[in-house]
Amino acid sequence: MRLLRPGVVPSEVVLRALLLVLPCAALALALPEVPHGLVVAGVVLSAASWAWFPDHPVGVAPLALVAGWWAVHDVVDWRLLVVGVLLTTAHVVATVVSYGPPTLAIDPRLARLWLARGGLALVPLPVTWLAVRGLDPRLAPSWLWLLAGATAVALLVVTARLVRPEQS
Amino acid sequence: MSSWRPTPALVRACLLGLGGVSLGIVLGQEVLAVLGAPFVVLAAAGLAGRPHRSPQVASRLDHRRLHEGQGATSRLDVDDLAGVEHVTRVAAHAAHVAASPTYGAVGSLADRGLPTIDFSPRRWGRRAVGAERVALTSPWAGWRWGPVHLPETSLVVLPRTAPYDTRAEVPQPDGLVGRHRSRRVGSGSEFEGIRPFATGDRLKRINWPVSLRTGELHVVTTRAEQDAGVWLLVDALRDIGVSGGIDGRASTLDLTVRAAAALAEHHVRTGDRVGLLVVAANGARVPLGSGPRHLQRLLGTLARIRTDARSTPPERLDLGTESGSVVHVLSPMLFTPLVTATASLQRGGTSVVVVDTLGDALTQLDGADRLALPSLAMRMQKIERDDRLRRLAALGAPVVPWRGPGTLDTVLHQLSRRAQVPRVRA
Repeated sequence: MRLLRPGVVPSEVVLRALLLVLPCAALALALPEVPHGLVVAGVVLSAASWAWFPDHPVGVAPLALVAGWWAVHDVVDWRLLVVGVLLTTAHVVATVVSYGPPTLAIDPRLARLWLARGGLALVPLPVTWLAVRGLDPRLAPSWLWLLAGATAVALLVVTARLVRPEQS
Repeated sequence: MSSWRPTPALVRACLLGLGGVSLGIVLGQEVLAVLGAPFVVLAAAGLAGRPHRSPQVASRLDHRRLHEGQGATSRLDVDDLAGVEHVTRVAAHAAHVAASPTYGAVGSLADRGLPTIDFSPRRWGRRAVGAERVALTSPWAGWRWGPVHLPETSLVVLPRTAPYDTRAEVPQPDGLVGRHRSRRVGSGSEFEGIRPFATGDRLKRINWPVSLRTGELHVVTTRAEQDAGVWLLVDALRDIGVSGGIDGRASTLDLTVRAAAALAEHHVRTGDRVGLLVVAANGARVPLGSGPRHLQRLLGTLARIRTDARSTPPERLDLGTESGSVVHVLSPMLFTPLVTATASLQRGGTSVVVVDTLGDALTQLDGADRLALPSLAMRMQKIERDDRLRRLAALGAPVVPWRGPGTLDTVLHQLSRRAQVPRVRA
């Protein structure tokens, strides 16, 4: 009996397996504290769906669930860095896989390109982590929060405008 | 008409990056800000790489007319690659066409040239290849154009001419030029004899040694060289057996068409005039002709034979053959009317050679139940066919199974000898 559909390349299978494993591993870092069963089920199911359909918006779900769980529990120790790396890696893997169908062999040059891009994307992670750990938000002037809030809103508006398809 | 749309990867990066950072600031969730930071970079880079022009995409095949087993490359033309980082092509599967990559999916970074797909038809006929979906992706996988569907292209696949050669002459060459030795004396190059000079003989034909020795002028005579009219009668009434293309088993129609192509090529190369009659629902007739262009016409007609068509066999075959023509009937001879029509041709004085193209189509597979209904039916059909062929051979029409090179040597030699026997006309 064939486990894979004809033509599916092994590298594709490995990367899709990573899509299932990485969000689960990011949640498993919470052990020995066990997340709520619904959260675990949600992450596993959504990660499985994501692994099946890597080019589908469902991929937001496992990442958001994991990030939300860590945010709710407000853990800012070393594990947060690992969680950040795992989630970013999962996103990059899904992006590489979504370039074509499962029968499309992964282009080594494309993989190297995204490895470099993933590394570049991870640069702000330790910076923000150190900032969060080292800076006391109570000392910040109130206008800084207003400015940050306005900037975030402006970025959201610009993004929403940009991602709208052009009328042809 | 397609347009550039954000990819799910960009949407994910925007939601996690900007959403995480915004919520982190607004709600004071430091964890969200930290986890969202890498996605901000990915989102920003993806958004910045938005292309603004909609490209025109088309694919083309290097060759539209191929022989079985040959290959053609499908290339992609994109008028504007500005803002395109990656190109993905996925070709649809086509029957009896091998693709490289095997499953037709190929992608590459645009700066290394656009990806190509190689097609190689494995069976003669008309093949539709080139139906594919193409997607273009912008830098950082932010935007995608397509996938768009590109239409298929029709490919004419000529039968592979199986290696065939024969040194046998056709029985009764009757044309003016060619490579067959005639029984008549003429201006050929083959030595026939030496005779005394007669008025009208060319001076260059004088044989001086004999003339000096005998004291009288003698000339060398040669045999004329003639071409022959060869008709190929192709039975395309049914396709029996399973075709595995040139790499696998051959169906009856595969054998028939390839044998016809080989014979046509051989006779055209020899300088003969070759005609073709396809007995099928969409039958075709190509009159006698010679030369490379005529050969292409014959092969093209063979490639147009439909394998899925079913039709009734004719009661008689009207080729309009001249005396001296040879008719090669290429058929598995499974239908009585066609056998009868062939016998009528033979009785009419035409030299008929039946080339049996049944091959292994009715061979029982190992392990098949000999008493099962299909096996019994197959054996009965084979017995009936063998009986018909025996009766046809008794009428004087030789039957030879197609075996490639030299298949017709013995038969044509015998027919030539028979044609040289003096006949008494009634």
